[in-house]
Amino acid sequence: MSGIAGHGEFFQPTNLSAAEAEKATEWVKKRVDRRELDLGERMDDVREHMWQLEKEGEIIVHRISDAHKPAMVKTLFGWDKKIPTLQLWHHKSCGQCGNIPGYPTSLLWTMNQLGMQPGRDYLDETDQTSCTAWNYHGSGIGNVESLAAVFLRNFHQAYVSGKRMGHQPGHFFPLVHCGTSFGNYKEVRKYLVENATLRERVKKILGKLGRLVDGKIVIPEEIVHYSEWVHVMRKRIASELQKIDVSHLRTTVHMACHYSKMVHEDAIYDPEVLGGNRAAVGTSMAEALGAQVIDYSTWYDCCGFGFRHIISEREFTRSFTIERKIKVAQEEAKADVMLGIDTGCVTTMDKNQWIGRAHEQQYTMPIMADIQFAALACGADPFKIVQLQWHASPCEDVVEKMGLSWGESKKKFEAYLEEVKAGKIEYLYNPELALSA
Amino acid sequence: MATYAEMQEVFEDIRSDFRYDHELNGCLNCGICTATCPSAHFYDYSPREIVQLLWTENVEQVYDAMQEKIWACAQCMTCAARCPFKNSPGGLVAIMREVAIKHGFQSAKDVLRPFGRVMLKLITTGNQLSPDMIQPDHFPDWGPNIQKVEGDLKTLRKAIPMKTLQTTDTAWEVALKTSVEMYTIWEMTGVLKQLETMDENLFDVIEDFIEEKREEYDEMLEEQEEAK
Repeated sequence: MSGIAGHGEFFQPTNLSAAEAEKATEWVKKRVDRRELDLGERMDDVREHMWQLEKEGEIIVHRISDAHKPAMVKTLFGWDKKIPTLQLWHHKSCGQCGNIPGYPTSLLWTMNQLGMQPGRDYLDETDQTSCTAWNYHGSGIGNVESLAAVFLRNFHQAYVSGKRMGHQPGHFFPLVHCGTSFGNYKEVRKYLVENATLRERVKKILGKLGRLVDGKIVIPEEIVHYSEWVHVMRKRIASELQKIDVSHLRTTVHMACHYSKMVHEDAIYDPEVLGGNRAAVGTSMAEALGAQVIDYSTWYDCCGFGFRHIISEREFTRSFTIERKIKVAQEEAKADVMLGIDTGCVTTMDKNQWIGRAHEQQYTMPIMADIQFAALACGADPFKIVQLQWHASPCEDVVEKMGLSWGESKKKFEAYLEEVKAGKIEYLYNPELALSA
Repeated sequence: MATYAEMQEVFEDIRSDFRYDHELNGCLNCGICTATCPSAHFYDYSPREIVQLLWTENVEQVYDAMQEKIWACAQCMTCAARCPFKNSPGGLVAIMREVAIKHGFQSAKDVLRPFGRVMLKLITTGNQLSPDMIQPDHFPDWGPNIQKVEGDLKTLRKAIPMKTLQTTDTAWEVALKTSVEMYTIWEMTGVLKQLETMDENLFDVIEDFIEEKREEYDEMLEEQEEAK
């Protein structure tokens, strides 16, 4: 007789009742459930110090008010995090916008479908720079002061951005699209809260830019990643918008390192998703849509992006992503698609498959973001909205498996390109809203 | 070859960074950081080694590791999430890279040369990447299927239904005022100085570009003033 879960023949079932088993394993569960780890008790919640600084008149906290219709979630150690669902300022991502534009377009399309009104419920504008952290993590050029000044400049703009539409300061709350921006901003927030010298130095810069409010820097109450918005909206997206059954699709999820490993205490963990033991975002959207989410042994691994490596040491990036992600998702999980939640990961895994042929590693896997997959399931056009034409991986396969015709959609899109040339462009929002300065 | 005093100075620069005490708290030599490190799979690099060298204040070996090893780190921070001591080897590497640049290490210059295009884009536009940088010709290793619809880049970008994304030379449209604010940040935080140390030619190009953009911005303000 073969053993159970690796145990030998001597292993005997205990035949305990459910209640007895619960009692017997209570202590173990308490220890292994990451959210119960005592590490959380030993850690400072930087947000508490942030409120104290505001009380002392040092900073202004950009609040998530009732008008932002927040949803509460739990993070790694069971701490509460407030996720605004309305009045959002889109903090775009270099990689997404330059390379995977279907990521932000799917997000804005979903918001529109949920009845959100551009200019009131969200804003996408030109007064935003990159967080500059890709460059910093890749090259070491930049420093905490420059990262902090960029953080404060962008978030000050978010705070005042509603003014030209007649809204009060703080109307729009930043929603950060990029995983690295999200991780970087959380680190920078920590440094700003903990280090008075840094605050003083960047205050001079922000003062020169005219980016202080009553002589103070503005720090948002929470740093919020777009996938967290998707997470709290997943049930509405599935129940109100879903048109296509995806229950036959096998999905795998790649968790972005800079979402769950940088300032990891701030990532969302949900007892309903992956047993509450792994970050919930991404997976939760796929599950809400009814797709199968298949586990694989390298779930926790990085994608191989490497910041510097994807540009100047691509052999590392390619090798790692093929060996540790694409191959495993194909062979172990036999997945139809892999879903990411971050620009760098989606780019890395999407673009570095074909080159595997050079070493007879012919592994392929459609790669897209959770919100692109959700938009497809909700009836978004694979080209016009989900913009899959920019992906190198075989996304056409998963589109066909959803029952959509890639060929017909492509023909329609090619016809639309002729209209675009003639200046007939369809927008998700009035383009004048974007022109901020 | 650097003298011991020079190496000591480099080490002191690392140690005096205010993040140092956040990122280094002790080390059991358990090696979980290296076990989970993607770079350790492919390079002669170990986050455990970096932590140990710093923890034991091995000035010479720290200096040596800064020549090549620190550039292997992928900055994923898996090591930081795993460490029972709450160390961040990846965070320590970030500090070491900054110090390597401050001291103008030739090894840093060599490693960063291919990064020049991204740097130019970032410093001048406030974006790190643009659609015209990722055309099929530049990336033959991405395969023939990189663009699934034929068409010129300009038209394909115009077909993105967000106004801000209908650009080819930046990832999104950044207002002139925004870029000019960014230049002030670069100047006041010493980033342009870092750049000058690393690549004087690139610095000259960027300096000229910034000057031009500032003039353009001043003219725009004058025009706006006149229109009032």
